[in-house]
Amino acid sequence: MMTPDQYAQAVRDALADHPDREELLEDLDDHLIEIAAESDLPLEIRLGPPELYAEELAAAYGDRPRSRGERRWGPREWPRRAHARLMGEESYRSFVGFLPELRPGWWVLRGYVLAMLLLAMSGNGGLVPGNLGEWAAVAFGVWASVWFGRRAGRRWSALLAVGVNLVALLALLAGMATVESRDWDGRMVAMAAAPQPEVWPDRASANDDVYNIRPYAKDGTPLRDVYLYDQDGNPLTTEPGRHGYRVDESCGGPVLNRYPLPLVKDGFTGDEQTMPEPTPACPSATPSPTPTR
Amino acid sequence: MDGSQLLKGVLDLAVLAVLNERDGYGYDVVRRLREAGLEEVGDASVYGTLRRLFKAGALTSYVVASDEGPHRKYYGLNEVGREMYATSTKTWTAFSDTMASLLKEGQ
Repeated sequence: MMTPDQYAQAVRDALADHPDREELLEDLDDHLIEIAAESDLPLEIRLGPPELYAEELAAAYGDRPRSRGERRWGPREWPRRAHARLMGEESYRSFVGFLPELRPGWWVLRGYVLAMLLLAMSGNGGLVPGNLGEWAAVAFGVWASVWFGRRAGRRWSALLAVGVNLVALLALLAGMATVESRDWDGRMVAMAAAPQPEVWPDRASANDDVYNIRPYAKDGTPLRDVYLYDQDGNPLTTEPGRHGYRVDESCGGPVLNRYPLPLVKDGFTGDEQTMPEPTPACPSATPSPTPTR
Repeated sequence: MDGSQLLKGVLDLAVLAVLNERDGYGYDVVRRLREAGLEEVGDASVYGTLRRLFKAGALTSYVVASDEGPHRKYYGLNEVGREMYATSTKTWTAFSDTMASLLKEGQ
């Protein structure tokens, strides 16, 4: 939001090459103060961009600057000109007039998003604060954002506000994208490119569809008696019983994390066994798990 | 038809008419023009017109101190301005009559 002084200076800058600039703008400052006192709406919204104001003023005055008639508008000025033209439309004017009322809400959201972003960068945090400390950080972020928003009329802080708003907006979009990528169970879908291991246990104990695992070596050779453990050293097991199979105990007590499991169809015994998996020979010894992290 | 284009041609006369009624400062002139029905009139156009008429010697100006805000520079018609207003009024009236007659024939 520009002050009358800033707006007048911008008009002066835009008319830098006008031969009668000083005479033309003699009492512009007081004139703008008068206008600003009548409404809370920023001058650049009520009067349009200063550059356009200067152009209209010079046209009404009559003596146009020498180069102005041939001036070509750059890509940065088109939005301003479009905004100034649209300000002639009542609906657009109402919309623009409503925007300042959204500011306090944005300040609160901005503080929240930036606080959560900082927490996430420090290794904590997520989409919502998880403990008292994080709530305190968010409360501080919101307070700071509101404080900053109320002082953003000055030139340096206006520039800083653009940067801060941009970061907050990007963080907000990233947060929304994160929410979108969660599955319905609330579990994160991790998309990681891991080097292909020689044996890859696919979280068999967590997956109801898997009741046996067939490990293969890199060259395609089927492996036998492969003991699988999770990252904590716990045996990875499946539940073949839920799929109508049981572990063959002909080799002794079953070892439930040694793959492939020797499975037999439940309800069959002896010669009637129907082996859905290749029947491994009885292993000799049970190794100790050596989990790696 | 775009009213703002028509307005550009008669803004001088409109400003002179407002000041002929009574003296006024910049924003006061804008406000009175809008109240009179010229709602599309731009602040910069009126301000530029005032400064041009002043430069042309048609207006006098004087500063009035204000307790509530900035000092206000009031503009008023001088002899040249009153003559300009009278001449412009005649020109406009003749033009307006001609246009009214033309449009009547076309209906």
